[in-house]
Amino acid sequence: MSDVVLEVDHLTKTFRIHRERANSLKQRIAAKGRNRFDEFTALQDVTFDVSEGEVFGVIGHNGSGKSTLLKCMAGILRPNAGSVRVHRRMSALLELGAGFHPELSGRENVFLNAAILGMGRRDIATRFDEIVAFSGLEKFIDQPVKTYSSGMYVRLAFSVAINVDPRLLIIDEVLAVGDVTFQKRCLEKFVEFRNDGRTIVLVTHDLASVRNMCDRAVWLKQGQVTGEGDPKQLVEAYTESMLGSMQHTETGSTRRGSGELMINQVEMYVGDDPSPVMRFQTGDDVRFRLFYTATKAVPRPIFSLIIDALGGATVSAPCSRDVGLVPDVVSGDGWIDIVMPNISLLPGAYDVHTAVQDFNKQHEYDHLQLAARFDVTTGKPYESSGLVTLRPEWNFTEG
Amino acid sequence: MSLRSAVASRNLLYLLSLKELRTRYKKSIMGWAWSLLNPLTQMVIFSIIFLKVFIQIPPTGHPSGIKNFPLFFLCGLLPFNFFSISVGVAIGNVQGGAGLIKKVRFPHEHLVYSVVIAQFVTMLIEFSVLSVALIIGGNMVLPWLVPLLVILVFMTLFTTGVALTFAAANVFFHDVNYLWGILAQLLFYATPIIYDANNPRIPRSLRLIAAHSPTGSFITAVRNVMYDLTMPSLRDFAVIIVYSLSAFAFGTWVFTRLSPRFAEEM
Ligand SMILES: Nc1ncnc2c1ncn2[C@@H]1O[C@H](COP(=O)(O)OP(=O)(O)O)[C@@H](O)[C@H]1O
Ligand SMILES: [Mg+2]
Repeated sequence: MSDVVLEVDHLTKTFRIHRERANSLKQRIAAKGRNRFDEFTALQDVTFDVSEGEVFGVIGHNGSGKSTLLKCMAGILRPNAGSVRVHRRMSALLELGAGFHPELSGRENVFLNAAILGMGRRDIATRFDEIVAFSGLEKFIDQPVKTYSSGMYVRLAFSVAINVDPRLLIIDEVLAVGDVTFQKRCLEKFVEFRNDGRTIVLVTHDLASVRNMCDRAVWLKQGQVTGEGDPKQLVEAYTESMLGSMQHTETGSTRRGSGELMINQVEMYVGDDPSPVMRFQTGDDVRFRLFYTATKAVPRPIFSLIIDALGGATVSAPCSRDVGLVPDVVSGDGWIDIVMPNISLLPGAYDVHTAVQDFNKQHEYDHLQLAARFDVTTGKPYESSGLVTLRPEWNFTEG
Repeated sequence: MSLRSAVASRNLLYLLSLKELRTRYKKSIMGWAWSLLNPLTQMVIFSIIFLKVFIQIPPTGHPSGIKNFPLFFLCGLLPFNFFSISVGVAIGNVQGGAGLIKKVRFPHEHLVYSVVIAQFVTMLIEFSVLSVALIIGGNMVLPWLVPLLVILVFMTLFTTGVALTFAAANVFFHDVNYLWGILAQLLFYATPIIYDANNPRIPRSLRLIAAHSPTGSFITAVRNVMYDLTMPSLRDFAVIIVYSLSAFAFGTWVFTRLSPRFAEEM
């Protein structure tokens, strides 16, 4: 076995999630110094080593802690327990772009970043052309980076990171952004890196590239290491778990998702009547109530209610984020009411599904297919076919 | 800190300071002249108020004998502006550095140091111009520039300490930014800039506050050497040193404790 270049040793990282965004003094004082926050464990007791010359992959669902892990490696986040030891000159490319100062030009940012990564001024000057040439941004290099597109941003960031001569490169999902030619150039650079005997730690969604490029990998699940070793076996197990996580519930509905926050039940009410119904009329004021349980504090969840006609066509799918309803954190039990006044659905049978996702809709906490079913009977207005009424007004003019 | 990272970090500080100096006057035709225009405008305004509206007699420098309100005012304003602008800009610079802080590892205090360095350079330029004006006005300040520099260096330590404290606190409570705006305004009047702390017509208790508050001590000392042409007493020097060292130590302590959590709080 060759030298160990990176040691992650019983690493634990928790975040404080403030119940109310207590970013102002008034709010903190109003909370009377009580710590109004929950602890969220993003990484728990993670341990592994990376050896010199390895390409090491990190896989896992969104929110499983991959980026947090890389930020701890890069020394940006301070672990709550355990440690990360880096024994080689490291350069890190974290989620979407490098640390750039938006007001500065590309040129100034290159110098700034290279200085942060530990290069002297003369070193940078000699490599500057190489960095700019690799990025292909010669024409834009004197413009402020705030005018760059995200693709240009990543290209420049990547060029800096790999041209400062790191012995250890850590990369988080950045290749997804650049264009195809640039991605190809990056892959060539990776191969060159590997042939040089340098070490790469890679987080990516692209399971194929994990399988093909990595020598070893680790699989994170809710902040814990679920498996470590041969990337082919790991990717296979990971894929299987994604498919296998589909569960059947006793009511004929199916559920998938990571499960920290679930919808248990959906009930419907008409008007102010407190007893739930399974049937109502066109034109009723209908309230959908989604009962949820969170087994731990979930930050900024997004709830969706999906109403499908029997044939499968989605009639409506309101989502809480669309109306700006984003609770900072949800924990314990509760319910959400969605009121649809003067409902436009026409007679027929409808299926209700629910989804709970993270704010970016990248991660699914819960998806309950067929959470409920209801019937609509003839009310006002009535139309003999179609799914919804657009409340037409008819005028007949004889002339 | 290894020698290598010390060198790298010095280079970073240099680049950040250069950026501070550059971005401020980047798109202006008059460039550096703007930096002088701001204190000059304040000088004109307050001179009119002091001399023409309130009809006051300008304080006399002792033993220099100079009697010139605009010069008196500038001797206090320049160091005060250095202090209050540095702290205000440092708060914004740390907040605006979120993109860097969340993505790369570097000594966060450089975001504060670079602001103070750039403001210090600006202040030196302003003081060179003021020195010429003082000499024309009859004050031979050249030999007094040495003690001035000593006082300004201590004031820089003090400023850095306050800037570190406020900039770090602002990451956790965003209203520190606004709080500072109000505090700086209060301090401007609590510090003897537009008035003379020795004026016997001011109540004694107010005079004591004005002369011995941190900013007041520094400004009184600067006035001593530039306007009065006399050395501050040893006691005054001791007060300045105590203020600057304790503020610097406190700011460094606060910043070092809080900065590892910046990345996740921003
Ligand atoms: N600064 C932060 N404050 C609070 N929670 C955070 C912070 N950063 C990340 N998290 C939470 O930590 C978990 C892991 O996030 P992350 O490491 O980004 O996952 P991944 O990269 O695997 O998608 C997520 O649930 C995320 O919401
Ligand atoms: Mg991530």
